[in-house]
Amino acid sequence: MALLDSYSTPLNAQTAAHLLRRATFGPTELEIANFAGKTATQAVDLLISNSSYRASPPPPVEMDESRTDAGQSFLSKPFDSGRRSSYYNYIQYWWIGLMTEQNGHPAILEKLTAFWQNHFVVVHASVDDYRYMDRYLRFLRSNAMGNFRDLVIGITKDPGMLIFQNGNENTKELPNENYGRELQELFTVGQKDFAGNYNYTEQDVKAAAQVLTGWQATNHGKDGTTSFGTVFNPDRHDTNSKSFSAKYSNSIIQGRIGPEAGDAELNDLVSMLLGHPETSRFICRKLYRWYVNPEVTQEIEDQVISPLASFFCSTANNYAITPVLKKLLTSNVFFDPVHIGGIVKSPAELMIGTIRIFDQPVPDITTEYTAFRNMMSYISYSMAVLQLNFLNQPSVFGSLPYYQTGFSKNWINGTTLGLRGSRMDTLIYPSVEIKPGYKLGIDILARLTSIQPNFSDVSGTSGISCEQVLQEFSKNLFATELSQIQKDFLIDKIMMMNSSPRTTWVREWDAYRLATSDTTKQSTVLWRCRAMLRHMLRMAEYQIF
Amino acid sequence: MKRRDFLAASATMLPVMLNGFGVKSIAGSSALVSSLKQTAAVNGDRILVIIYLGGGNDGLNTVIPIDHYSQYQALRVNIAIPEAQVLRLSGTSELGLHPVMSGMRSLYDEGKLAIINSVSYPNPDLSHYRSTDIWMTGVEATQYARSGWAGRYLNDQFPNYPQNYPNSEMEDPLAVQIGQISTTTLLGNEQSMGITLQDPNSFYQLIGEPNSSVDASTPCCYAGNLISFIRQQQVLTVGFASEIKAAADSGTNLAIYPESALKNELAEQLKIVARLIHGGLRSKIYYVELGGFDTHAGQVGANSTEGLHAQLLKKLSDGIAAFQNDLKLLGKEDNVLGMTFSDFGRRANSNASKGTDHGIGAPMFVFGKGIKRQLVGTSPNLITGLLPASPQSWETNRDIKMQIDFRRVYADVLNEWFGADAGKTNQLLFKNFKTTSLFSDTIQSIASGSWINPEVWSNGRVPVSSSIIKINTGHVISVGQNIYAKDVKVEAGGKLQFLGDYSVNITG
Repeated sequence: MALLDSYSTPLNAQTAAHLLRRATFGPTELEIANFAGKTATQAVDLLISNSSYRASPPPPVEMDESRTDAGQSFLSKPFDSGRRSSYYNYIQYWWIGLMTEQNGHPAILEKLTAFWQNHFVVVHASVDDYRYMDRYLRFLRSNAMGNFRDLVIGITKDPGMLIFQNGNENTKELPNENYGRELQELFTVGQKDFAGNYNYTEQDVKAAAQVLTGWQATNHGKDGTTSFGTVFNPDRHDTNSKSFSAKYSNSIIQGRIGPEAGDAELNDLVSMLLGHPETSRFICRKLYRWYVNPEVTQEIEDQVISPLASFFCSTANNYAITPVLKKLLTSNVFFDPVHIGGIVKSPAELMIGTIRIFDQPVPDITTEYTAFRNMMSYISYSMAVLQLNFLNQPSVFGSLPYYQTGFSKNWINGTTLGLRGSRMDTLIYPSVEIKPGYKLGIDILARLTSIQPNFSDVSGTSGISCEQVLQEFSKNLFATELSQIQKDFLIDKIMMMNSSPRTTWVREWDAYRLATSDTTKQSTVLWRCRAMLRHMLRMAEYQIF
Repeated sequence: MKRRDFLAASATMLPVMLNGFGVKSIAGSSALVSSLKQTAAVNGDRILVIIYLGGGNDGLNTVIPIDHYSQYQALRVNIAIPEAQVLRLSGTSELGLHPVMSGMRSLYDEGKLAIINSVSYPNPDLSHYRSTDIWMTGVEATQYARSGWAGRYLNDQFPNYPQNYPNSEMEDPLAVQIGQISTTTLLGNEQSMGITLQDPNSFYQLIGEPNSSVDASTPCCYAGNLISFIRQQQVLTVGFASEIKAAADSGTNLAIYPESALKNELAEQLKIVARLIHGGLRSKIYYVELGGFDTHAGQVGANSTEGLHAQLLKKLSDGIAAFQNDLKLLGKEDNVLGMTFSDFGRRANSNASKGTDHGIGAPMFVFGKGIKRQLVGTSPNLITGLLPASPQSWETNRDIKMQIDFRRVYADVLNEWFGADAGKTNQLLFKNFKTTSLFSDTIQSIASGSWINPEVWSNGRVPVSSSIIKINTGHVISVGQNIYAKDVKVEAGGKLQFLGDYSVNITG
């Protein structure tokens, strides 16, 4: 049974949850129930086709209710540097909203877009023009499932990238090598192959920079401008032929003149980069690390990365992305129990994942923009303090835990463990008001009420036990199974506070059933369940997925 | 009750949470404890502060080669610091500092700052990630290591960490990083040897009560490994949080640091470090960082002494100066050594965007009262010290050739500052590195060659009349002129070979 062959066992709740945790930012209970029973192929096909549901979501709007233009789209208005920081935030919120919403159509789109955003990194802190960031994000989002060649060509000409990686200043007289290097090291061929051999030389960096001379971004950060974009300036372009090293079979990109020179040479360059045997491997390895496991063994390299890469760059597939992802997400290796729980959750998987498993609805961005802003600013801020900043990573490498030794373990240290705990606490002890009547956080009483048979018949139907309460709250919560010792610990030491027998709980619960509006009785139930949930969300087991 | 007394009294109650709420203490007779006692005897109170300048600092606009000013100016006409504005240093006219670095200039003039010139490594790599990795792990460009150089040192000193830590022999974290994501530098063989925090007070509040599992067993495979890793981090964090808090509470700052409105994040981090050191935290290594040095464009403003790089250097200089002054006022100046490093240097020539691209050699700074030498290597020779040595006609880029391998500085820090055994240092750095004499009065020969060739000498400079010289076994130093030194000692098997009728003048 080859590792990349299709996984044939129909999904159960555990494997469906695994697929949804990895392919999206985390499932709801309903999504897990809907996906259980499907084959892996059916499930992934649905995740792919669902992506069209949100292909063109409504645009971000002004979310400051005190302004007269509140609720209106701002992207079509002339550039306003006074609002650049707020507008950028709204764009980021717009995207996080799409990751978080529960619309009944779980899809691969946002998680895959996030992969590309962490791959072809452009950071807001450098670009500081919200229109640029919007264009960049929309470009990635609309090409995320498309063709890798289009992504590379498009991102090279993206105005945000031209600013961020200094392509804007790259001229024939004084080439700026920044982008020429990152294009090879980070975006296509990778610095080294799996065996540690360099994939390109310094000469190739210089030659690539020469090919890319002449591209410029327009109206960057200029107040009052209504248009912006990318232009090719032939006067700044190096028209000499560019020679590459033996790593690229000594390719020569013929120098061109005139207004079409930029595109013509860029196409040649991208063809050369995609012709490098390591490009497809580099991308497939990174996809494997993102979706399956950051650790790539020799066996995985030989039996997963290698065949997947051959398929990615094959003539038939020609660098189409979605078929590759489908192959990976439906494979035996993806569902191998060895890999379940094998990644530390990023702040997105932790924050958005918890909000989704707790079924916390996302307000409508257009009609409830204030509530939407409240929720998204909370999520965005929480992820940022936990060291994940979508659209604003610390460097062109993306977030450190996706490349540094130790990979996802890097999300964890003394400070972030404490912060992870305190962020989770806010979802157990709801305090963040999204709008009147909606505080973000799990509704414990409603959850318990839903599993209590004949709720009002206290004398005739016994109350739910501690074991049932734990069963309800731990359902699909962890990627791995809790041991019996852990379950007993959670009930006796935490829920019952090491002081009361389990039967005390049933008496307390029944007392609440008899008097649901009695705040003391409510508080007793909440006190025990919150203590237990707080402990559960702080467990090491909850940090992995 | 004083903090230490309290700890002594409560040592067995320290919250070591490996088994639920059970308390584990460790027998004084154990091999671990006795090995700790031994290491504590060796320079036990010495501390190293590592400052990482993220992005690749432009060395030529930090330490300006006054002796090659016209070449310097020609290489980077659009960003060159005007000669008149370069800060001069006491006792040398060959180099000076960027005009904003008055704090570090004072430190130099007081004998507390060393400049190590043109530091790099053979076969330099110009990728941020890989080059930083090489600096942090301390390997050859062709090698890979999973652990950091400082982490390996700590791992060797405290071999079973983090099992049974904190304990009564070492109640404090081995290393403290002020920042967000743990650095590779402090990575031990299995995991980070340090604790990463942003602020001691909020850290303690965040960590709160211990939260650990009764069940020490884990599921299989990758998930099980990650769960044990995270549990261990939880245990350590809880165990150390109260120590860090106690040190932060009893420690103080006496110097004036840059105002918070200036947003000098490096100064803020160093301020915490000074407070923790004063509060008695016994951590051996502190790690802080300042990012933003990847100045491909807009490195200078309208005026070449202003702009992005000037702001960064000001933060660096003001931060280090305030920190050193604080240590002095706190009575800790003898215990602390500081060191900077960066991804790599930048090109000798600037680009058209008023910036500089990735390059090779650049200066490192070492500061503190412990240094015995203030210049290692010479100011980069911008005529003969550039790469490529014989450029092709189309070749417009110039790099600064390495003089000093960074691992020589690491070796000196481990051997001379921490008092590590030389054999052990070689093992930790995978190779025997020659000293730079940074912590020694004596200059040694490190190879055979001419007396006037700087590469022959450990400090990378031609001896002067105040130099104390040792010719090592096996080295033949040829003398083609009258020579002057304070003292010259020739080891058995070493040789001074006179090429003519020249004199040795001992000035001591």
